[in-house]
Amino acid sequence: MIESLLQHLDTLLLYVFAACALVGAVLMLVLRQPMRVAMALISTMVFLGGIYGLLGVHFIAAFQVLIYVGAVMVFMVYVIMLLEIRESAGMARYSALVVPGVVATALFVGALGYGVWHGYPALIRAAAGTRFGIHQFSISFLTEYWLHFELTSVLLVAAVVAALAVIKVSRRAHG
Amino acid sequence: MIQDLLVYALYIAYAIGVLMTFGTVLTWVERKQAAVMADRIGANRAYVRLPFTQVKLVWWGLFHGLADGLKMLVKEDFKPRTYDWYAYAVAPWVVFTPVLLVFAVVPFGGILDPGRLFPSLAGWFGDRTYPLQIARLDAGLLIVFAFSGITIIGAMLAGWSSANKFSMLGGLRAGSQMISYELVMGLTVLGLVLIYGTVDLGVMVQKQSGTVLGFLPAWGVFYQPFAATLFLTAAIAENKRIPFDLPEAESELIAGYYTEYSAMKMGLFMFAEFIEIAIIGALFTTLFLGGYNLPYMNDSGFAFPGGHTVAMSHGWVVVTQLVVFLVKILLVCSFQILIRWSLPRFRYDQVLSFAWKFMLPLALANLVATAVLVWSHQGSVT
Repeated sequence: MIESLLQHLDTLLLYVFAACALVGAVLMLVLRQPMRVAMALISTMVFLGGIYGLLGVHFIAAFQVLIYVGAVMVFMVYVIMLLEIRESAGMARYSALVVPGVVATALFVGALGYGVWHGYPALIRAAAGTRFGIHQFSISFLTEYWLHFELTSVLLVAAVVAALAVIKVSRRAHG
Repeated sequence: MIQDLLVYALYIAYAIGVLMTFGTVLTWVERKQAAVMADRIGANRAYVRLPFTQVKLVWWGLFHGLADGLKMLVKEDFKPRTYDWYAYAVAPWVVFTPVLLVFAVVPFGGILDPGRLFPSLAGWFGDRTYPLQIARLDAGLLIVFAFSGITIIGAMLAGWSSANKFSMLGGLRAGSQMISYELVMGLTVLGLVLIYGTVDLGVMVQKQSGTVLGFLPAWGVFYQPFAATLFLTAAIAENKRIPFDLPEAESELIAGYYTEYSAMKMGLFMFAEFIEIAIIGALFTTLFLGGYNLPYMNDSGFAFPGGHTVAMSHGWVVVTQLVVFLVKILLVCSFQILIRWSLPRFRYDQVLSFAWKFMLPLALANLVATAVLVWSHQGSVT
């Protein structure tokens, strides 16, 4: 009884963490108060870290919490606290750029889904390979994947600019 | 499988027990040490009277911690009409939980072999051995910093959600101060990572059991004396204690970010602070003071510089390592309390410029010097 429970504990926890991360992500999109949104995002990040930990890549879990919660979200909470944004954000003030934005998002998600679906057997093979330690990770990160990493940061900057374009930022309202 | 569960449940119980005991005892140590330093008698009022007798047990005032806990548990749980009740309710736990979790990656002893320790259980355990560490992770040091980053959010949430100007200022101060010193703390430890070539705390301790220059124990403090000083300073600032207790400076901000908290919720903040003293002690011991080993000691006994070795039985090694680790933690805690009662509080701008203009350049210089040394002695240092 306990033996079988222990064997399936990983799977059970994986589902629990995934569900919690999903709930956090949905709450982040639905809630209107900035601090609540930040807290929902923090919980999502922590649960994602838990999922990485269950997959056996503890250093990725540590990076997830260290970078996203310990650095990014700390600054967001700090800024929200400094600005004392107390009112909930306004409703329905998207600019006309939201239409191409949604289309591009659908295309992007579609392309990602296609790629992941067709690359799935390769992913399974990679996951079933040897244990992926921090030593191995550091070497392949700094030799093979540093360009991908830098490109991701460019993508993130583009995403921030796009988000600013899609919601109508009125500089004069509320001072 | 069940054996693993049993052993790790025992480890977790041990860790929680040790941290809770330290949290309670340190409140007393802080008072008693202040009294000793100020040439007073000190905490000696609380006592337990044996029922139906006139025998009062004072025990050097050890019951003060108990009385404090009881007071916090039975006080009124005042709830202000805050702006954000959810953040208000969740903040003490966000501060308290990560502090406990950090201990999960700290090794508090060497390798435990239950079969050798209890021969009657040898058949059940087989040849399984367990390192005395709750989670032996190759990313140990990163996880320490990941968890201590979460604490900052808790302090800021507490200050912000209380909707009180004192709390708000306290939260602001806590946020800026902890962000600044977290950076310094990370940079000071990087030098050690360069020397030992790992972020696994267990391996770090094992690498400190040899000798350096023939006679000194290979402790981190001898490799990186400068980083050790900076690390301890930054850690005390990270824990927001005097002389860095600006976020809760009682003469300026009442109690800072936890002004609006009462009863056990305030107790959680206090408890987290005292447990963090012990955690800093444990981290400093692990990183710089050779962890759970005495000088020249390893998992099989002593190996003195002259080539002389003393073998010890497994049981004695385990007990010695557990005790030595606790004693080292207590000594570092006592040193922190010594600092707390010796130095006056900084002014707020001094705290931040101390971090950014003094400690950060020093930590960077230390890192550069270490990198150059490790590079020039490539292969011969570790």
